Amino acid sequence: MKSIIILSGKGGVGKSSIAASLAVAFSKDRKIVCADCDVDASNLSLLFSLSTDKYKEWAPLSTNQIAVVDKNKCIGCKKCIDECYFKALEFKDNIPKVSEFGCEGCGACELVCPKKAIKLKDIDNAYIGYADTGYGFKISSAQLLPGNSGSGKVVFEVKKKAREIEPKAELIIIDAAAGIGCPVIASVTGNDYAVLVIEPTPSGYSDMLRALEIVDHFKINKGIIINKYDINKKFSEKIESFAKKSNIDIITKIPFDISFVKAMTEMIPIIKYKKAYEKLFEGIKEKISDRLD
Amino acid sequence: MKIIGITGGKGGTGKSTVATALAFELSKDHKVLLVDADVDCPNDHLLLSIKRKQIKTVRQRIPYFDTGKCTKRGVCGKVCRTNAIVSIKGSNPIFMENQCNGCGACRIVCPSGAIRWESKGIGRIFSGKRDSLDFLSGELKTSQPISEFIVDHLNEETEKVRQNYDYIIIDTAAGTHCPVIAALENADKIIAVTEPTPLGAHDLEIILQLLERMKKKGSIIINRSDIGDKNLIVSLANKYGKKIIFEIKFSKDVITSYSKGEPILIPDICSIIK
Repeated sequence: MKSIIILSGKGGVGKSSIAASLAVAFSKDRKIVCADCDVDASNLSLLFSLSTDKYKEWAPLSTNQIAVVDKNKCIGCKKCIDECYFKALEFKDNIPKVSEFGCEGCGACELVCPKKAIKLKDIDNAYIGYADTGYGFKISSAQLLPGNSGSGKVVFEVKKKAREIEPKAELIIIDAAAGIGCPVIASVTGNDYAVLVIEPTPSGYSDMLRALEIVDHFKINKGIIINKYDINKKFSEKIESFAKKSNIDIITKIPFDISFVKAMTEMIPIIKYKKAYEKLFEGIKEKISDRLD
Repeated sequence: MKIIGITGGKGGTGKSTVATALAFELSKDHKVLLVDADVDCPNDHLLLSIKRKQIKTVRQRIPYFDTGKCTKRGVCGKVCRTNAIVSIKGSNPIFMENQCNGCGACRIVCPSGAIRWESKGIGRIFSGKRDSLDFLSGELKTSQPISEFIVDHLNEETEKVRQNYDYIIIDTAAGTHCPVIAALENADKIIAVTEPTPLGAHDLEIILQLLERMKKKGSIIINRSDIGDKNLIVSLANKYGKKIIFEIKFSKDVITSYSKGEPILIPDICSIIK
């Protein structure tokens, strides 16, 4: 089973739109499955017209624990407060109080408490599930509950889920979150190929370089798609010469097209919305296939 | 003094465009500090062509294993919940520095006092200026997982100078998890920038739920309001009792300025803080 990750660093440059259409293109000749690893803002399934009520499964998930203090056992020694590196404990009314957002569930407080007054307790921090896209393949997806932490671990669960729902899949297509932190690192590790989507702006370029460092850290083969390349052709050329110098494939250049927004609003992958994109995504598929096999 | 957080959930909806345009315009008549708290992918300095100067290295503690003292009992790895330590009875622990969040559980359980603290650099804090606008920015070192540590340090630096300003504008990362929450912690008022697409609406709803949990005041800006389906956002605003305070029409000029690193002018943008 091979896997491809789509990432960009910067948000809103077209990761999900490209991932959705690429999945449709690949599904014609391989058994594929999608994994939406943007668990902060899970959007990929929306491009297949799927809201969570259309999911085959959508259930609470616990990948996190938080500290709970037993006030009958606590002697108020404050050792836990001194130990907490995340400043998630506060001494209030003679008892340590666990803050709503700060607790990482590391367990240091539990270990240091002389009276065993602190226990870690599982909490549901996300929903996870899967759906049939209606395009001949399935998608796994999760949504972190607002204000919860542990997105990296939830990402691992989404990747695991994709393999569970389609054990015979030949290819997994993964859509990453914006950024380069914990959830993106968890998404990138273990892939066979990375597609870096970039728009020709100083921000898009700078963020792509940071995403590239993550890809290189894991020594993953990669290529670049320049999206909306014609909004600044000079900058596009700069990116192309960077890619050439660094020996990175430019997979394709996609012009700015308002149809992307229209397709998104109608919740249809652009490849099915506008005929011209069939050829474009076929081409992208061919190029990536060459590198993959 | 007012602290305004600019967020939105979905990436690329125009958070940085709004934050930089607002801060730049406001700074003509007020003392303003712009804080770029998107430490994964900081871009505000690019949008305003600010040359940043590093003022601080952010370090995080990590354990150092004294192999002379280690009795190879294999207990430290058992308590490490980030899987940064692999310890097998009879051998020295193997430590994967990048995965460590510095929680200290290993040091508490070590029976032989073989673990002491060292530190690793995980990011940097910068300052800068554009005309009369002051600027702070944080940047996570690549391959380091914990963005919110950098945001915490950025908050500390902001706290030191906050009395000097009429307004502090904080630009957050995309998403809804830890670094976004940390960036919004001190905000008096939060503005969610969204776009009228099903994806924009979906992510906006999560941000609005987060604001409820954080008990923060918030309002909405619709960017590219003339493409897509505005009703998606209007119905969410009604559902959560939030006002749509501003709309920005789609414009190729904005994209062009953006792609050149020129400050973007959004007429009347300062009206959103009234």
